[in-house]
Amino acid sequence: MFALSKKRLAPVEMALPPPEAEPCETAAGGHDALLRSWMSLAEMQQRVIKVLAAEITQTSGFVETEADDLSQKFQTLAISAQQQTERVQSLTSLAQTVEFEDQSFAVRDIGSLLEQTLTDVVAKILLLSKDSMSMVYALDALGINVKRVDDCMVRLEQINRTTNMLALNARIEAERAGAAGNAFRVVANEVRELSKSTDSLAATMNAELKLVREGLASGQETLRRVATIDMSDNILAKDRLDLLISALATRSALLKITVDSAITEAEIISGVVDGMVTGIQFQDRTKQRLEHVVDTLHVLDEAVQEVKSSTLMVAPELSELEPADMEWVKKLLDRYTMSEVRERFIAQVIDGHATQMPEQAAESGPTQGGSVELF
Amino acid sequence: MRFEFNGNDANVSFSGDLTFADHMMFREIADRLRASTDKTIVIDVANLDFIDSAGLGMLLIAREEARKLNRTLVLRGAKGQVGRMFGLTKFDTLFSVEA
Repeated sequence: MFALSKKRLAPVEMALPPPEAEPCETAAGGHDALLRSWMSLAEMQQRVIKVLAAEITQTSGFVETEADDLSQKFQTLAISAQQQTERVQSLTSLAQTVEFEDQSFAVRDIGSLLEQTLTDVVAKILLLSKDSMSMVYALDALGINVKRVDDCMVRLEQINRTTNMLALNARIEAERAGAAGNAFRVVANEVRELSKSTDSLAATMNAELKLVREGLASGQETLRRVATIDMSDNILAKDRLDLLISALATRSALLKITVDSAITEAEIISGVVDGMVTGIQFQDRTKQRLEHVVDTLHVLDEAVQEVKSSTLMVAPELSELEPADMEWVKKLLDRYTMSEVRERFIAQVIDGHATQMPEQAAESGPTQGGSVELF
Repeated sequence: MRFEFNGNDANVSFSGDLTFADHMMFREIADRLRASTDKTIVIDVANLDFIDSAGLGMLLIAREEARKLNRTLVLRGAKGQVGRMFGLTKFDTLFSVEA
């Protein structure tokens, strides 16, 4: 609390009548003076006891009020510390999971999910490439068949040319035979017409075959584009994903260490605050001790009063006391550093007036430092 | 791509790049591998520098044909881009991949 420097104070000396040089001659007068001094001292002691008892009671009240206030503040602090611990713990959960479409995903699993997605994409690319290459090989086989048909068409054209030549020769021979070759001439013309038809059909078939070949080539080119997918980006994505997963794992581990440390610190704070609250609650014992002191002072006051009363019964003339010697009281006052206490002391001890104790605790707390007089 | 059979028709080494352009050549190699009688067919890719998705598709077709004949297709010595492609496509779960 406040570091007050303890000054070594000089003892307060009482101003008692000096002993007489010849006690036999002045014994009665000396005893009377001493008795009066004792009575004055008793009166002053009673006033001082009352002031001290009031000061202690008031201080005890202040301490109790301030302790209650501090206790409440520390309890608020303890609750805040506990809530802080819970928030840190919830932060762990928040940092480690992601909510998406009513589902909760652990951050450490996000990398695996992304990797699974990439794996699925790659698997589809692979399947697409394989099926495309199967189609390419099927088209290759079809191309071989078309080539065979092409060869057949070449052979057909050769046959047709031969047939046409035969028809021409037959027509020449029919002309040479004259009327005898009329029938032969008709057959030769028919064969020639047949050859022309065959030639025309062959041309049509060649045109169709050309379209089939072009279709095959176009289909193969399309399949080549489908089958040949640049997967370099996928490899880079996989590399980045591996790094991401590693970074997420590292981050998760660091976060856990930090959060665990924060939770430990928060728990320590909670424990310390709880201990402080408990410690402050021991103020009750301080109050009890002070009550004992006050009680003792009251008993002392009563004892002094009793001695005074007994003395007055024996020596009623002492009821008219002379003004007490205030020198030691004034010296005592010089040792009081708090003006407020000094004023109350003057009012009650010197002037003999009862003073009202200020409601200091209700008016100002320790946080309003202006009311605390240190020196 | 270039290829070379290693002593028998069930063991072949590839080098260079295996891409779509090699599909006819690969067909001939696959036919020769299929004609062999060994239970295990080995394709050594240690000297293969590059493979595209079409090349991977061709290897899958070869695997399918080998399985139909109750044979095992082993891919051996993949490294560099080829090894990374095998890793990306998890070929080790489809083939017997040897270092």
